[in-house]
Amino acid sequence: MGLPDVLPILIIGLYFFGTALYVLGSALRNERLKVAALSLGGAGFALHALDLGGQLLNANASPDALTSGRFLFCLLGFGILLIFLLLWWRFKMRFLAVVALPLALVFYATADATSGIKATLPPMLTGLFFLLHIGTLFASMAMLAMGAGAGAAFLHLEKRIKMKASLKKMQQDMPSLDTFDKVNHWVIVGGFPLYAIGLISGFIWAWLSSKRVFSGDPKEILALVMLVLYAYLFHQRLAYGWRGRKPAVLVIGVFLLMIVSMLGINFLVPTTFHGFKP
Amino acid sequence: MDKQIILVGLNHRTASVDVREKFALTNVENFEQGLLAACPLREVLALSTCNRVEVLVVADGERAAGLDLADAVLHHWAMACEGPIDTLRQHTYAHRGLAAVTHLFSVAASLDSMIMGEPQILGQLKKSYRNAVERGTAHVIINRLLHKSFSVAKRVRTETAIASSAVSISYAAVELAKKIFGELSGKTAMLVGAGEMAELAATHLLSAGIDKLLICNRTYARAQELARTMHGESVFFEDMVERLPGVDIIISSTGSPTAIIRAKDIRGVLKKRRNRAMFFIDIAVPRDIDPDVNSLDNVYLYDIDDLKEVVEENMSARQHEAVKARSIVDQETEAFATWLKSLALQPTITDLLGRAEEVGQRELAKTLKRLGPVDDDTREALEVLVRSMAHKLLHEPICFLKRRTREEGSAERFIDVTRRIFNLDGDAAHPDAHLDRRSPDTEESLDCEECCPDAEPQSTPGDRVKPQ
Repeated sequence: MGLPDVLPILIIGLYFFGTALYVLGSALRNERLKVAALSLGGAGFALHALDLGGQLLNANASPDALTSGRFLFCLLGFGILLIFLLLWWRFKMRFLAVVALPLALVFYATADATSGIKATLPPMLTGLFFLLHIGTLFASMAMLAMGAGAGAAFLHLEKRIKMKASLKKMQQDMPSLDTFDKVNHWVIVGGFPLYAIGLISGFIWAWLSSKRVFSGDPKEILALVMLVLYAYLFHQRLAYGWRGRKPAVLVIGVFLLMIVSMLGINFLVPTTFHGFKP
Repeated sequence: MDKQIILVGLNHRTASVDVREKFALTNVENFEQGLLAACPLREVLALSTCNRVEVLVVADGERAAGLDLADAVLHHWAMACEGPIDTLRQHTYAHRGLAAVTHLFSVAASLDSMIMGEPQILGQLKKSYRNAVERGTAHVIINRLLHKSFSVAKRVRTETAIASSAVSISYAAVELAKKIFGELSGKTAMLVGAGEMAELAATHLLSAGIDKLLICNRTYARAQELARTMHGESVFFEDMVERLPGVDIIISSTGSPTAIIRAKDIRGVLKKRRNRAMFFIDIAVPRDIDPDVNSLDNVYLYDIDDLKEVVEENMSARQHEAVKARSIVDQETEAFATWLKSLALQPTITDLLGRAEEVGQRELAKTLKRLGPVDDDTREALEVLVRSMAHKLLHEPICFLKRRTREEGSAERFIDVTRRIFNLDGDAAHPDAHLDRRSPDTEESLDCEECCPDAEPQSTPGDRVKPQ
């Protein structure tokens, strides 16, 4: 059994134990457990990067590797952790590990399960397509995931403050409502343009490849719904100064639609372009 | 050298406010000096605050034999306050020996305070001790006892979470504001009305870093006066709602019989401030702020009862931590008892000779290591040399101590100094110990590496001492 065979098991193991320890550490308010969980997650992330690098190198020999389900989900899981690290560094949002680690685990495990399955993409859609379509969409999705985590934390803390819970029940190391709202702001302001670019580039390439912008694909329909909601959120936040509860709830809603789109439609619903077929 | 340590006192639990007021010591200096003159005591320290009076006395066992010192202190106290001795007896407690030590440690660690864990009492105790030292009523035992009580207080604060949660209403308000806004720098607060508790909350917010304080009062002159003392800006009461869009935290404590801030006003204010969060603290009874305000998005309202609930839960958490704190107090009382026993001459001589021999043996071991292999006779001769040097060197100091024990009153001072000079109790000296006694221009390093380098020198084959 060589390294390429052991690597996915190792990464899944590290993410799994990292997730379990972090959840346990949060429940028990045990700092040591949390640090151990983040160390495991960090090791998983490093190996994850190694795995992605290997897949990119393989892409030179077989261009199909970049359109495989394995690579795409692997990239999404990696992107989520990357955005989490940025939020940790910028806003001290370490607690978002409770969202980032399980999502990285789910997407990496999905990637591993989809080995040998690939999206049927026109061969011309490589290179720039990845940057514009997959890269931007995945970055915005990773931001959405973190925004949903911050939104859930906002709703939790806001409820406690509104219900006059004791200070003891509001975790000491939990950031303030303002900080959660700031994350929501950046997720919407940064995520929406990326999502829009990703979607528009997809439509352009669809037109270039098959002279048809919209093919009635369920994933395309859901993506359009998400785009409309995202645009509404973007507008309300910037033009009307929406803050707090409403944008938090809406970001969680858009994130849930994203999960349905990525895991539900890709695997369960027969689609034209976006389904993964063996 | 049998010492009696007695602590007599009253506090918020044993005496009501009027009794505490009656028996508060207004002139502690006279009280201490008078007590020393009236009773056969060696040392006295008195602490008088609004919640307690504690009188700590130390006497020689022989001199005070047959006397009820606690009662003598009560008599002097009642006389000094011109109050009835029976009332005083009824409301006071008396602790003797190690019970007195435990009580003092508990007081210093604020385990006996009205609000357990609040650190003010430690500052008051330090001040009383400094005054007693300056007046010359505190000597060896009280010096040691008070220094120890300060270190017990520090241990309790660092090793337990007794002071970690908010137990005052104004502090709880600041903690909640931090949960909403994070950092308070750049935020603006408005004080509506001028109650004492609201002022205290505003002071806490200012020290937590808010940028600007607006003060609004029906009587504009009062608002101006407060604005001057709190470095804020006064606002006309009629302009209050107009100024709210620029305010993040509002503390209200007017005597108005009806609400002065309504939910419909705040809806408009929120629009103007683009839904930025607002925190209302309503300390007034009856309430100043319409409770419906709390149902608005991005608005948080706490009234006096809500804040009290927050505080009470934290109080129970402190009670839990107090168990740990009391075990620290017990440990330190035991350590103090050991020190007290060592104040007799014989244990000090034994410790002194033991320390000298220990240092001699350690240095001899280093020398033997550098010398290389030596025969048994040489080793034995060197051991005898080291031991007899240690004993001869300490002969004169020991004779000096023996002579002092025959004199009245100075023995334990010299014994204590000797114990401290040679660090016979193994106490760690903090860099800021006795800082109050050092003048800034004589600050110098306490490091003694230059005079007694303990590090083993790097030996090379060339500088190895050759056996003769």
